Amino acid sequence: MDTTRRAVVTGMGVVAPNGIGTDSFWKATREGTPRLTRITRDGCDHLPLTVAGLIEDFDPVGTVEDKFLVQTDRFTHFALHAADQALRDAGTPDLPEYAIGVATASSSGGGAFGQRELQNLWGTGPELVGPYQSIAWFYAASTGQISIRGGFKGPCAVLADDEAGGLDAIAHAGRSIMRGADAMVVGAAEAPIAPYSMVCQLGYRELSRADDPARAYLPFDAAACGFAPAEGGAVLVLEEREAAERRGAAIRATVAGHGATFTGTDDWAASRQGLARAIGQALAEAGVGPDEIDVVFADALAVPAADHAEVLALGDALGAHAANVAVTAPKAGIGRAYCGGPVLDVAAAVLAMEHGVIPPTPGVFSTDYDIDLVTGRARAAQVRTALVLSRGLMGCNAALVLRGGDAGP
Amino acid sequence: MNGPFTYDDLSALMKSSAGITADPQELENSADSAFADLGLDSLGLMAVVGDIEHSHGIPLGADAERCKTPREFIDLVNSQLTSGV
Repeated sequence: MDTTRRAVVTGMGVVAPNGIGTDSFWKATREGTPRLTRITRDGCDHLPLTVAGLIEDFDPVGTVEDKFLVQTDRFTHFALHAADQALRDAGTPDLPEYAIGVATASSSGGGAFGQRELQNLWGTGPELVGPYQSIAWFYAASTGQISIRGGFKGPCAVLADDEAGGLDAIAHAGRSIMRGADAMVVGAAEAPIAPYSMVCQLGYRELSRADDPARAYLPFDAAACGFAPAEGGAVLVLEEREAAERRGAAIRATVAGHGATFTGTDDWAASRQGLARAIGQALAEAGVGPDEIDVVFADALAVPAADHAEVLALGDALGAHAANVAVTAPKAGIGRAYCGGPVLDVAAAVLAMEHGVIPPTPGVFSTDYDIDLVTGRARAAQVRTALVLSRGLMGCNAALVLRGGDAGP
Repeated sequence: MNGPFTYDDLSALMKSSAGITADPQELENSADSAFADLGLDSLGLMAVVGDIEHSHGIPLGADAERCKTPREFIDLVNSQLTSGV
């Protein structure tokens, strides 16, 4: 690997419960507008999971061509649309087809599509199962369809390693660039709010059972009672820095460092050490000291043991700076979109650096933890270096360090 | 079965099953073109075959999915549908 080849962000696309497109997403994120709602979808209203972040104003027809529409699930529709936005934002680099690759992360694939075809199978018979069942519900579907639709024949991958996979995919794309790819389309989007997908989540002890959207997901709050899930996600275009500079692309941020660990299931106390190690690795790779972190986008699970472990991990990794650094969790307003969640946080972190504004943690007004949690209103601040954290329910932990677009390599 | 399977029928099924827009007249004019060149890949053809088999209640046989062109496919479907009655 050529470590002098650094990955920079030149394009971003967002499909989130609080906005489609980075402009509307950022406006709502900066305002801290809570967008969690009661789930009223067909077949979902009898389940003990009642609050989520939903994308209601997205019409895949007209957004995704018919040819791709018939063979893809909603999670891929989101990914295709976010990829379109990101490529447009990047000015669609004119590169040979083998120079652009695709990497996505997925936690559960295309549940609604799979459910429909399995209902056909057991309701009528195998002759009613369409051939696209063979591709649409797999974890890899979004990577494959972004690649096919854009004609991108560079290194392609899908990471199926839990929510932290959203950050790991970005790191993987950065390594693909070190290995020679000129550009990577990378991100994650999820669509877990459909009957079968929701039933699959009911076993998660960390899932919030609260039925009041204003009380369902309150990380670092004394009333924390678990997390609300969400659909949506984000896609980035990463490019090799020098190539991006040569073509005059606007560099929005640098992917500076990453770390990943695994601490197993059902032990949030153990995630303290795992997360601290991931942060340490990310800082070391980025070559930045703890004091240089201007904001932390927290994992913010809203399970007391997990929140406590995250606060302790910040202390372990950042030392005295942990009590002073701004910590925020915009996902409290929209829910956790599984692998899409940390990628939305990366998009928010890039926007925070560009605008000099740290968005607040919606719905949370105070915390008993010894951290500087940004609550209430957005905070003006010079943000040159951001740390984004993610933990999965199955034990993966990841940390990603981003630097502002004008920071040196 | 009401009458033979036509280019109109194929066009409609390509749209509903595979999301491919192909005008019936153009399909007939390109009857010997490869499905791949008309935008229909092998999974798409499988979806079209599945739809016909379901709506007519008869199997078309493994050769249906191996057809390369609209003419080849329409001839095969019509021979299967008539022999199947």
